[in-house]
Amino acid sequence: MIFNIQRFSTHDGDGIRTIIFYKGCPLRCQWCSNPESQSFGYSVMYDKKSCRGFGDCIKADNRAITRINNNGIQIDREIITGPEKLRDICASKALTISGESKSVDELLTEIEKDSPFYRNNGGVTLSGGEPLSQGEEFITLLQKLKGRNINVNMETSLHVNWKSVARCIGLVGTFLVDLKHIDQDKFKSFVQGDSELVLNNLIKLIDADAQVIVRIPVIPGFNHSEKEIKQMIEFVSSLKNVNEIHFLPYHTFGVEKYKSLGMDYTFGHKKQVQDSELEPYIQFAQSKGLQTKIGG
Amino acid sequence: MITEKKSTTVTERIWALREKVLSTKPSVCTERAKFYTQIYQENDDQPVIIKRALALEKTLNEMTVFIDDGELIVGNQSSQHRAAPIFPEYAVDWLPREMDELDKRPGDAFFITVEHKKELLEIAKWWKGKVLWDRGRAIMSQELRNLQDSAIIKATGNLTSGDAHIAVDFYKILSIGLGGYLQEIKQYHQQVKRFEQEGVKKDHFYTALTISIVAFQVFIRRYRTLALSLSKKEQDKQREKELLLIANHCEVIAEKPPQTFYQALQLTYFVQLVLQIESNGHSVSLGRMDQYLFPFYQNDKITGYISEDFTSELLENTWIKLLSINKIRPWSHTRFSAGGPLYQNVTIGGQTTDGLDAVNDLSFLILDSVGKMKLTQPNLSVRFHKKINNDFMLECTRIIEKGFGMPSFNNDEIVIPGLIKIGVEPEDAYSYSAIGCIEIAVPGKWGYRCTGMSFLNLMRVFLASLYDGLDKQSGIVFKKGTGNFAEFNSFEDVFKAWQHQIKYYTRKTVEIDTAVDTALEEIVPDILCSAFVDSCIPRGKTIKEGGSKYDFISGLQVGIANLGNSLAAIKKLVFEEEKITKEQLLIAIENNFEGEDGEKIRQLLLNFVPKYGNDDDYVDLLLRDAYMEFIDELEKYHTTRYNRGPIGCKYYAGTSSISANVPSGAVVPATPDGRKAFTPVAEGSSPSSGTDMLGPTAAFKSVSKLPTEKIMGGVLLNQKLSPATIQKDSDKQKLISIIRTFFEDLKGWHVQYNIVSKETLLAAKKNPEKYRDLIVRVAGYSAFFTTLAPDTQDDIISRTEHSLS
Repeated sequence: MIFNIQRFSTHDGDGIRTIIFYKGCPLRCQWCSNPESQSFGYSVMYDKKSCRGFGDCIKADNRAITRINNNGIQIDREIITGPEKLRDICASKALTISGESKSVDELLTEIEKDSPFYRNNGGVTLSGGEPLSQGEEFITLLQKLKGRNINVNMETSLHVNWKSVARCIGLVGTFLVDLKHIDQDKFKSFVQGDSELVLNNLIKLIDADAQVIVRIPVIPGFNHSEKEIKQMIEFVSSLKNVNEIHFLPYHTFGVEKYKSLGMDYTFGHKKQVQDSELEPYIQFAQSKGLQTKIGG
Repeated sequence: MITEKKSTTVTERIWALREKVLSTKPSVCTERAKFYTQIYQENDDQPVIIKRALALEKTLNEMTVFIDDGELIVGNQSSQHRAAPIFPEYAVDWLPREMDELDKRPGDAFFITVEHKKELLEIAKWWKGKVLWDRGRAIMSQELRNLQDSAIIKATGNLTSGDAHIAVDFYKILSIGLGGYLQEIKQYHQQVKRFEQEGVKKDHFYTALTISIVAFQVFIRRYRTLALSLSKKEQDKQREKELLLIANHCEVIAEKPPQTFYQALQLTYFVQLVLQIESNGHSVSLGRMDQYLFPFYQNDKITGYISEDFTSELLENTWIKLLSINKIRPWSHTRFSAGGPLYQNVTIGGQTTDGLDAVNDLSFLILDSVGKMKLTQPNLSVRFHKKINNDFMLECTRIIEKGFGMPSFNNDEIVIPGLIKIGVEPEDAYSYSAIGCIEIAVPGKWGYRCTGMSFLNLMRVFLASLYDGLDKQSGIVFKKGTGNFAEFNSFEDVFKAWQHQIKYYTRKTVEIDTAVDTALEEIVPDILCSAFVDSCIPRGKTIKEGGSKYDFISGLQVGIANLGNSLAAIKKLVFEEEKITKEQLLIAIENNFEGEDGEKIRQLLLNFVPKYGNDDDYVDLLLRDAYMEFIDELEKYHTTRYNRGPIGCKYYAGTSSISANVPSGAVVPATPDGRKAFTPVAEGSSPSSGTDMLGPTAAFKSVSKLPTEKIMGGVLLNQKLSPATIQKDSDKQKLISIIRTFFEDLKGWHVQYNIVSKETLLAAKKNPEKYRDLIVRVAGYSAFFTTLAPDTQDDIISRTEHSLS
């Protein structure tokens, strides 16, 4: 299942790219800017600003959806039965269903639309959520993309079993691997995952001669300190065949989405990280012989 | 603009001149009007063309001339910077009517003194009934006048201001000089057969040409005299030298071909200036300046006569001079070209006639000097082609980043084959330039109005096709239709109704253009302009009489995207999905989406129908088919020059409708695409604002599905970018890469970039619905601006402000 296809993407790999955002992620990063990407099922999103109070959603499911005032509703997401039926119910698209099943051929059609623009190593980037948590169809897509000679990048946390990673090697041009933290405890408490799994997969992936770029999200209160980031850079520089590192500065673009999903943004009110704050990290990485980029 | 920081490489003198012109309030100059009136009064018995020659002569001989402190390029259009001359012979009715409001206009205001008002009232009184506007209206049928008054077809601009939209033959002017022209005219004049009626007319033409060119020479020499006398009083030795140099240049170029780059540039500017004293039309363009001036530059460079810095200074001075030229239009027409631009286009880049990259050092200097001045003039176009120098493209994106919309790109890969296909000789096709904004012509070989004849309001036509031909705004049935929408059984019925109506209106645009061209030919023949266009002199004809080598013109069709989106909405929601009924749709648009269910229907129309600009064949192909109905019909007609000399004499389609989308929308009720009554329609060929949600590549794909090779009047595409999108050179390369795909693979016609300003972001925050397509990208992440939280929006707004300063 996917939740977005974004054309003209210029920051997740070389050239101009189309990004396929898959729905579903094994991690729960507190700062996640695409919270709708976390669940593997449909997500009901409600943007109060666009609501005109037409009430069609209430007619469709008056148990789960109730009117609270002229231009507003309340959704009890726990008891919604079959969110699919709400998909096209709202004329103003205040209520939308995130998540759409697309066949491999449908995805290929969308990807091919921008193919004239994929010059200079552009192509498709598979992102998420976690693309490696997808089923068999996903591999079929990768095979067909390879058959059509479309450059594939994959953005992944590697927080999956090794088998899921291994089956993609040879089908993916470049893996853009998120390295969030090396510390086991911090990783566990902030993203509810196991950093060992990520690190082991990363080492195996490199041993398998896959092309890898490591990306570090720079998150205040989590890893945004010289000590922590430098530790990660040192780790990356010790890996053979990894010579590029990207820093993704924390931003708050996704905050509104939490509201529309009825979720709490628990990460608190932190300031966006400015490019200038990354300067010491960049210098350090370069001193270790790594190529750097901000924002990928 | 005034607060713009001076670039370190701009000299003090240039900056002072720039500030002076920018801070001068536009005003009105009555000198030309007085001279023309006097000559017309005294020479009532003379043919129009002689009267016009004498009037131009008197104006050039007697109008105020001045040289500003520090100016290197001289020549003024009127008694002051930015003072618009009055052209009473085109239209005067509007003057007494609008005079008292000129300084109170919400945009494009003009300062006018009480004395000037008095003078102009007198002048207007004498001209009443004698001018272009009166003649144009008189020779139209009542039906055509009604169509004009209903605002479905507008030709006000041509009838009040003339046509222009032309670039003259600067190659020839610079190679034979004004003296050369006099000789050539004399030679043809001697061969005139005065025993034939045509000979009599030719005799007048050559006489008028001679008078006008001699007057032009006198005008140039007046600057010589002035520069000399100023030099005598000058204390500053350096300035004294400059003034003597100016005097010397004027002496040379009044008669002979220029010898240096400086002289060639000065003569080029004089020609550009005098054409805009003679005629009232706008979009008088300079053609391929980096080509015809290059031999002079190269020569001076090799001999060490000129430096890059001084060349740049001369160019910058020229751009300031172009800005000091001004034009006043009636309010009705002003709204179609908001911001009062004169669209004096300069084209650079492109190919040589051998198909090689024509980019040279002067192309770079022109590009950078325009970037340094950041003015509205000239309008800078770059001719793109496959082999264009990539460093030059990168430099173009650096100028684009400055955020004043320049340069725009035209695409050789579609224009040149397109021109050859319609009958232009290959060598000429390779020499085309942009005219005005995006339209194209071969400089010095093309007649007027490669675009910009009448404006056709497509959405009014579309609405009439839903009401059995009734135009609800005027209450007139111009063309009985095929029935009412309420009775249609299928989408095919809707399309048939459109076919039926558009055929009629297409023909009427040609009828109106024919009347207008007939009046222009009779009332306001241009003499100097004809002299500088091939082959008017050998043929002994003005351009309007069929003097030019090529003649292709276009009107402008306004509301392209709305047409496609409306058709798609009806097809999908009414006939395919039956989400809304015919009656519901009619009630909704008639009530401007107010009342019960009105807004809900509008939301359905907005959100549940594919929109042009998102690379969706459903709507893109519907639009193409609907537009082709207009184009196929248009191809049946000829211009008034047919069989009179030029190659072509045909019409083609055009969408470079400048700011006409605002006033055109102001006369269109609500439409089935969800657009509210009297709000702007979409501009040019761009998607409707707020509807292209998939970014620039998808918009490129949609636009490229239009029948581009048949829209030689221009396929205008504006794209918005946030400054952060192209801050880094690597991002600029990505922009170049998509432009290359658009032009090389998709054969797009044109694109220009608006860098989103702080104002736009503020407006988007306040009015999200209109800006749903606005994508902002900061540090690797992109988002629709309107979906962001207010504080994040504020953060981006403050960054934008920062990055633009």
